[in-house]
Amino acid sequence: MATMELPDTKTIRLKWPDGHNPDFKTGQFITIYWPDTPGYKRAYSLSSCALDRGFYEITIKRDGKMGTRIVDWAKVGDKFFVIPPVGKFLPVYEPNKHLVCIAGGSGVTPFRGYVREATRRKLETKITILYSVRTPKDIIFNSEFQQLEKENPNFKFLVTCTRSLPEHNWTGRCGRVTPDWIKEIARDLPNTVFYACGPNPLVEFAEVLVFELGVTKEQMKTEKWG
Amino acid sequence: MSNIPSDLKYTKSHEWVRVSGDIATVGITDHAQHELTDIVFVELPDVGRRLKAGEACAVVESVKTTSDIYSPVGGDIIETNKSVVDDPALVNREPHAGGWFFKIKLSNPAELNALLSSENYEKQIGG
Repeated sequence: MATMELPDTKTIRLKWPDGHNPDFKTGQFITIYWPDTPGYKRAYSLSSCALDRGFYEITIKRDGKMGTRIVDWAKVGDKFFVIPPVGKFLPVYEPNKHLVCIAGGSGVTPFRGYVREATRRKLETKITILYSVRTPKDIIFNSEFQQLEKENPNFKFLVTCTRSLPEHNWTGRCGRVTPDWIKEIARDLPNTVFYACGPNPLVEFAEVLVFELGVTKEQMKTEKWG
Repeated sequence: MSNIPSDLKYTKSHEWVRVSGDIATVGITDHAQHELTDIVFVELPDVGRRLKAGEACAVVESVKTTSDIYSPVGGDIIETNKSVVDDPALVNREPHAGGWFFKIKLSNPAELNALLSSENYEKQIGG
């Protein structure tokens, strides 16, 4: 199955082989390669969650050889080799915790898995996504996150646009992620765990902002994409 | 901790330059390859291409991401390193030696003065 999320971003569902029933965690990533180019591998965060059985979903932007081939050419029935999920960018699902997830661009993909699992399990863990995109047209999973907000009273999806133009009719927040915004969201700092995923500059910026608030290293988890 | 040879010049975008006469050899730094993680694909400019300083001219792809490489100086490409095309992981193993990207004949050697020293590059990456 393949779904175009945006003109340059596609979610593909990779069906597990018969009899395959892996143990993995929401937030991990898989490494994939096409059978005809075994030396060329790319890693992608799972955008599905550990409760989704029978398949992995990854959401890919048209970027590099792999991103271009998948977004423009991958079709139902294509086969990939998959190196099983690994990674430590994992949600801390404790009832009193607040997960503040800072995302840039396609860095939002693992957080879809976080919220999916929390919503299906009806967890009390609060999750807030602070999502930085260039324009409203760049918001991945917009309608799905809005639906999850309706289903899960502990989840909030907040977007800021850095380059919104008048013709976008964007009435939401504009500009970058700021310390004041983070402070406004993370009111109970000792019980907050911060996550940042996306391009290196955004993740490094988020790390500086968060550490300025005085949180411990254990309260910050990052996934840099170079 | 990254290896930052003192005989090289650097850019803020993590390329290094080794100068010999009016020829500059260009690659990406140890810090860059470490941040990128496993490099799986390298695309280099054609020999003969004329570049301006700061012009995007090569692409490096790791398992995580795709990055443009910018020419630190202007000039004409006189040689490229086929070894990193055939074996991209060479950039991870030997970023400052066998993993070089291209050689460029300088059109304006004064541009070298705008590059970072090893000390300043180390400060930039927080080394």
